[in-house]
Amino acid sequence: MAEQLSALDTAFTALAAFDWGSDAKALQPIDEAVVACHGDAKQRADLERRLSAMLSQPTSRAAKEYICRKLCLIGTAACVPALVPLLGQAEHSHMARYALERIVVPAAGDALRTALKTVPDPLKIGMIASLAARRDAQSVPVIAGILAAATQAGQIRLAVAAADALGQIQTAEAVTKLTATAVAADDAVAAAVINARLAVAEGLLAANRPAQARAIYQTLATAATGPTQAKSIKLAATRGLLACAEKQAVS
Amino acid sequence: MKMLFRPLLTVFLGLALVASSTGSGLLAAEAPDPVGLAIDLLRRDDADFRRIGLDAVAHATPGEAATYRYAALLAKLPPANQRELLAALGDRGDGAAAAAVTAVLLASEDVAVRADAIRTLGVLGNDTEVELLKASLAKPDPEQAAARRALVTLQGRGVGKQLADAARYGEPGLRPTFITILAERRERSILPDLPAFLSEDDAAVRLAAARFLATFGGPDQVDGMVAGLLKAPAGRERDELSRAVVVVCTTNDRHAEAAKQFLKQFKQAAAADQETLLPTLGRIGGPEALAIVDGLVADPARRAFGIKALTVWPTAEVSDRLFKLLGATTDATERRQLLDGLIRIAPRPDSTINDAKRLELVKQTMALCETDDDRRRLLDRADAIRTVAAFRYVVGYLDEPTLREAACQSVVDLAHHRSLRDAHKDEFAKALDRVIAVTKNQELIERANRYKEGKTWERKKA
Repeated sequence: MAEQLSALDTAFTALAAFDWGSDAKALQPIDEAVVACHGDAKQRADLERRLSAMLSQPTSRAAKEYICRKLCLIGTAACVPALVPLLGQAEHSHMARYALERIVVPAAGDALRTALKTVPDPLKIGMIASLAARRDAQSVPVIAGILAAATQAGQIRLAVAAADALGQIQTAEAVTKLTATAVAADDAVAAAVINARLAVAEGLLAANRPAQARAIYQTLATAATGPTQAKSIKLAATRGLLACAEKQAVS
Repeated sequence: MKMLFRPLLTVFLGLALVASSTGSGLLAAEAPDPVGLAIDLLRRDDADFRRIGLDAVAHATPGEAATYRYAALLAKLPPANQRELLAALGDRGDGAAAAAVTAVLLASEDVAVRADAIRTLGVLGNDTEVELLKASLAKPDPEQAAARRALVTLQGRGVGKQLADAARYGEPGLRPTFITILAERRERSILPDLPAFLSEDDAAVRLAAARFLATFGGPDQVDGMVAGLLKAPAGRERDELSRAVVVVCTTNDRHAEAAKQFLKQFKQAAAADQETLLPTLGRIGGPEALAIVDGLVADPARRAFGIKALTVWPTAEVSDRLFKLLGATTDATERRQLLDGLIRIAPRPDSTINDAKRLELVKQTMALCETDDDRRRLLDRADAIRTVAAFRYVVGYLDEPTLREAACQSVVDLAHHRSLRDAHKDEFAKALDRVIAVTKNQELIERANRYKEGKTWERKKA
């Protein structure tokens, strides 16, 4: 046990100096500890604490990425405060989100939602994508607001990311927001909103709610103007309508 | 089970007509009817929307009632759309559509539609459809080809028996086709009848029977096959039947028993018949057959037959005999026969000897060759020994003006084998350079250049 601890200590020392090109074998005891702490809350908490503590130290980007990858496996609410400062740093934001996206505690969602309001615009897309990946229902109002504002301001990439996110989150509120979204002047945004609606409909169908899915498909299939008139969308909606009818006939 | 429902079809079709005539708009507000929606799509002018409906026919909306509704639509569609729906109904695989498909086959004036209906019946039909498909065999292509394929795939307990009867007593011109169809269906119930077919007047029937027997024949059919072989006219038909007997006696199930039966027949045959059977005996091979051939070679009156059998032997086990006979004979014809036999046997792939021994046989035979033509033929065949030793042997002939083209051919053929070529890269590169310098054959030059660059080569299609 003492030998094991010593190896882990050595690995943490190596991690402090770790950078691209360093021998990754030196970190192997940490990898092994991550596996070994499964089912051992005390060991896990200790490991999480040591890894989190290193995030605030002046380590390399490679070391921080390594830590984020490990925290996404063993992290709890305890490591969230250590990850939050990284969200606003362009170099580390991505890996911090990588960890927070996968840590299944409300605090991780709260952190991403808070950051969405504070991080610079170029990093907002990432926050939106991570909230979508978490299917975070609480973020729908703010993401819908971003969709509307970004569309109006001509921030195409941000608007598209927001539409995609609503399509992934798929709550009733997300559906309502998407349905209420006016047809955007920009083709890419309009297409993203339609894709999101189709994604929601598919989700509803998969969740055995064909009547609700049918309502979305029907709107898309009958749209007479705008980009929704595109044949590919009508074909997708028609396929969806047929699938809904089948599901309803069976149930 | 499927057949029990067939009489009710008219009633179902009527109901389906009523259902479809009420309309099931894709966007109707009432309770959704997936089959109605699919039917609406099938009627569209746009092929992409029809594709969605066709997918529903083929892979979704299950149930016999749905099948009847789709089938009822068949007669109302234009020919191109009928063809699409026929294919989708085939993929659906529900025999409930068979009667409607038959109706289209009988009513359509479009030959492509009829051919597709036949294909679909091959999937959906059963015993009931055999007569109709048999009748379609008499029509020109594409209906005939479709019917032939459909009769191969058609399921149903009585189908095999009906086809076997057609092969026995059917329209004379179509009997060979029925025999071939039975072979493709792997329908062995006809097997006991086939040896008798080999003695019939119609050469096409005899040939079809021989091919069937080559695939499925066993010891029980050998006597009949031998009788057929003796009656077959010399040439293509006898060769085909001889090959069939060889396959039965060397490859098929219970081939050892079959070979024994063939030997029994051979021993009992009259001398003249034995002459006819000798090439087959030689190709079957085996120690007992070899003993018979040795006996023939020792008999001055029948020596020629024995030598003929030795020269077509399937393995190199007779090579010592051939060398010995070649060394002893003074008869020019016999000498020619024996040398030709050795040129054939020496390099031949043979699991009974190793590659080094095969090359040794080639070298021994080369020493006995009397003309450049013999040497060229032997060199040309030497590439069958895929070793570096064989390669080095043929390279030695690249500078002999009368033999270099044959040597070039073998060098290039051996270079085709990447593993051999790459293992001796420098040697091959040097030899291929020499080929490029001396050959007059443009294709060999092209191949040699490709192999030098590490590329492969594909034979041009004729």
